[in-house]
Amino acid sequence: MHEPASSPMKDNLGMRWVQWIQSRFSGRRGRRLKEYLTAYLMIFPAVLLIFIFGIFPVGFALYVSLHKWRLKRGDFIGIDNYVRAVDNLIYVLLFALAIGALVAAFFFLRRLKRDFENWGASPWLLTLPAVAHTAAVFAFIRWTVLLLPQVLDIANIIVGLEKTRALFFELLGDAFRAETVLPAFRLFILLLILSIGLLFIGRRFWRSIHNIVVQARLTMILLAASIGFFLLWFTYMEAMRSYRETLQAGGTPDLWAQVITISSGVVLLVFAWLTWRGAEKQESDRAFWIRVLGTMFLLVGGWVLIGELPMVIAAGDKDMWAGLKITIFYSLGTVPFQLAISLFLAVLLFQQLAGSEFFRMLFFLPYVTPFVASAAVFRQMFSVRPQAPVNQALQFLGLEPLRWIQEPQGVLMMLGERLGVALPAWAAGPSLALVVVMIYSIWVYVGYDTVIYLAGLGNISTELLEAAEIDGAGRWQIFRYIIFPLLSPTTYFLSLIAVIGTFKAFSHIWVMRHELALGTVDTFSVTIFLEFFDKVRYGYASALAFVLFAIILGLTVINNRIQGSRVFYG
Amino acid sequence: MADRKAHIFRDGGESKGLSVRKLMRNAGTYAILTLGALIAVAPFIWMISTSLMSIGEAQGVRFFPTEIHLENYLLAWKEAQFAEYFINSVQITAITLAGQLTFSVLAAYAFARIDFPGRDLIFGVLLSTLMIPAMVIIIPNFLTVTWLGRIGPIKWINNWPALTIPFMGSIFSIFLLRQFFAQIPDELFDAAQMDGAGHFRFLLTVVIPLAKAPLMVIVVLSFMGAWNALAWPLLVTNSPDWRPIAVGLLNFVDEAGQMLNLMMAGAVITIIPILLIYFFTQKQFTESIARSGLKG
Repeated sequence: MHEPASSPMKDNLGMRWVQWIQSRFSGRRGRRLKEYLTAYLMIFPAVLLIFIFGIFPVGFALYVSLHKWRLKRGDFIGIDNYVRAVDNLIYVLLFALAIGALVAAFFFLRRLKRDFENWGASPWLLTLPAVAHTAAVFAFIRWTVLLLPQVLDIANIIVGLEKTRALFFELLGDAFRAETVLPAFRLFILLLILSIGLLFIGRRFWRSIHNIVVQARLTMILLAASIGFFLLWFTYMEAMRSYRETLQAGGTPDLWAQVITISSGVVLLVFAWLTWRGAEKQESDRAFWIRVLGTMFLLVGGWVLIGELPMVIAAGDKDMWAGLKITIFYSLGTVPFQLAISLFLAVLLFQQLAGSEFFRMLFFLPYVTPFVASAAVFRQMFSVRPQAPVNQALQFLGLEPLRWIQEPQGVLMMLGERLGVALPAWAAGPSLALVVVMIYSIWVYVGYDTVIYLAGLGNISTELLEAAEIDGAGRWQIFRYIIFPLLSPTTYFLSLIAVIGTFKAFSHIWVMRHELALGTVDTFSVTIFLEFFDKVRYGYASALAFVLFAIILGLTVINNRIQGSRVFYG
Repeated sequence: MADRKAHIFRDGGESKGLSVRKLMRNAGTYAILTLGALIAVAPFIWMISTSLMSIGEAQGVRFFPTEIHLENYLLAWKEAQFAEYFINSVQITAITLAGQLTFSVLAAYAFARIDFPGRDLIFGVLLSTLMIPAMVIIIPNFLTVTWLGRIGPIKWINNWPALTIPFMGSIFSIFLLRQFFAQIPDELFDAAQMDGAGHFRFLLTVVIPLAKAPLMVIVVLSFMGAWNALAWPLLVTNSPDWRPIAVGLLNFVDEAGQMLNLMMAGAVITIIPILLIYFFTQKQFTESIARSGLKG
């Protein structure tokens, strides 16, 4: 009886599957499901690629930066790479990061509470599923961190063996089943199931369209808070470890003293800034002056404490601090000039004389040209040879030829020598080689900035200009009191892009750097690349890259704050 | 409207016809603009004129050649392997573009026109990757690519996959296209659905023909990106087989810096394709860069 029934049974089962799938995809709900599936399939390739080469690398870089890593992965060394780069400052930064995460969690929580009041509901019980979600996220991270080295090792095992798909999958299976990995995976799956279960139970508990969003926001709050607490603990442990190690080595540990002085210095400066902000708002003169006085005291106190900073800098990586200094020089030497020239050109072009289009095209030409090609041309124009065009021009003017891209000496120092003034080393200024890079940068970016300024000018309302005209304002007055303030959003946008650009700048500097310039043109990005490419220190280079990331993020945040308070949006 | 504004700037409102003062003022403006243009263009002129000199002249003090040596270009193209680099770059750009356009169009369409769970979250996460500086991800990506090459059937280092595949997923392209796709009126889609067309038919027959302008922008920007890329190709190529033109030129500068005329010819060859695109699509080109704020 069983025998004949088996095949129809199978068919039956198959049919039922097909029917079930068909039923899933028919009707209104089914159509929607099909729609979702289509959408996920459509975004899949792009999302996968961006994940592998854009998001995952950030975590991977963090992982690399916590290891001794030259061509191959070495030991886990905690934040030693960061300590090497910025010395004890890293503890201050980590501490600040931890506090930042906790403050963020607090503000998220406050906003959520306010929303709850608005909705007239208090579904605080949803914290329970949120805890499960958070735990699942951490279990997932733990699992990937444990799995990563196993998977990376596959490449080392497979070398020399015949590469077959079967072998690869076998090795991959081994990696997933490794002693350390499997329990972590089981824990993750357990928590995932718990999290999904609680997600749906939570939906029953509070029927509202906000349910899922509230769960997500609670999870965010918990994530931020746990990251904050973890960082606090981690910073403390790392600091203690370093402290003990210094003691054992027989040194006098300055870690805690430095960390505390610098942190309190920063806090005092922040207070000084807050008091100053308060002073601006004060109505009466007396209150204003008291505030100003307070600001002064706080500032002085802050700077005295921050006087510790140079010692920390001296203990950090010289190449990195030199790179940072060079980048700052590079920013200061390019951004203001670039913006001033392009604003001037944009106002001239905006008069729309015959041929403005043509001029605009010519100004834009340097920006369009591939960096490597134009930098190679500049390298030759500013070459050390007396026959090179720029040296020719100098000789034509009756001046001595210069060494340009091969000159490591500071320009102010050189100028001082010419005038017979001996300047101290710290006032040497950027090297002449760096000045060549600056000239190149200005030459390249003026066209771009001009185009953006022209767009900004196009947005200024005609009525305003006409009114000013009728009131008898001159051309300069119109520029100073109407055009310039109205262009401030454009100026802020351009300066942010330009300053961040100097921190990211790589190609043209790489082409123009000459060994004889003794690294005086190596900006932050170039320093990172050298650590990676020439010195093969992957771990350390990754740590430096994160320092760069932090600087860029900091600049963006500061700029946004300034933009909020200072820029005039007409 | 622009004219009215320009008018205020130009002659202070009232005057008609040519006045001496106006002419003088314009002459000053023209003088400044011409000076600026000369500075912008001088390096190009020097590059071209040096590329036409004999080697002796190129190292001398002349600004213009006495005799035109067009054979420099032939030498650079053949002997200095610029032909190879050029073809490499074209291939790299073509492969990258093929992937990037396909994946970006699909993803942008889904993000713009289908309302699926998690859409905004996924898009926001993708967008946040624009903040990450290239130097942070270049090191892990190098490790990833090396790993993929070791375990997979095809070589990645020194081969096309390392140079193209990481650039095929571009959130910038997706963003640009999504903005455009979202503006297509719903009526068009409803009509297409009446005719029994699904998403893919609608995408192929209606959306893509409408989106020529943004697609053009992506093509131009990718082209520039591929032509400018230096750090990544330096890492993942170590022989001329797949070396793109920027790395080729850099190598030539390092190794044969003495042969100025050939080097300049090489630089001209590197620049020409970009300049051609620039002159032909000037308006879209300028606008696309101005809007995106990036180059490569």
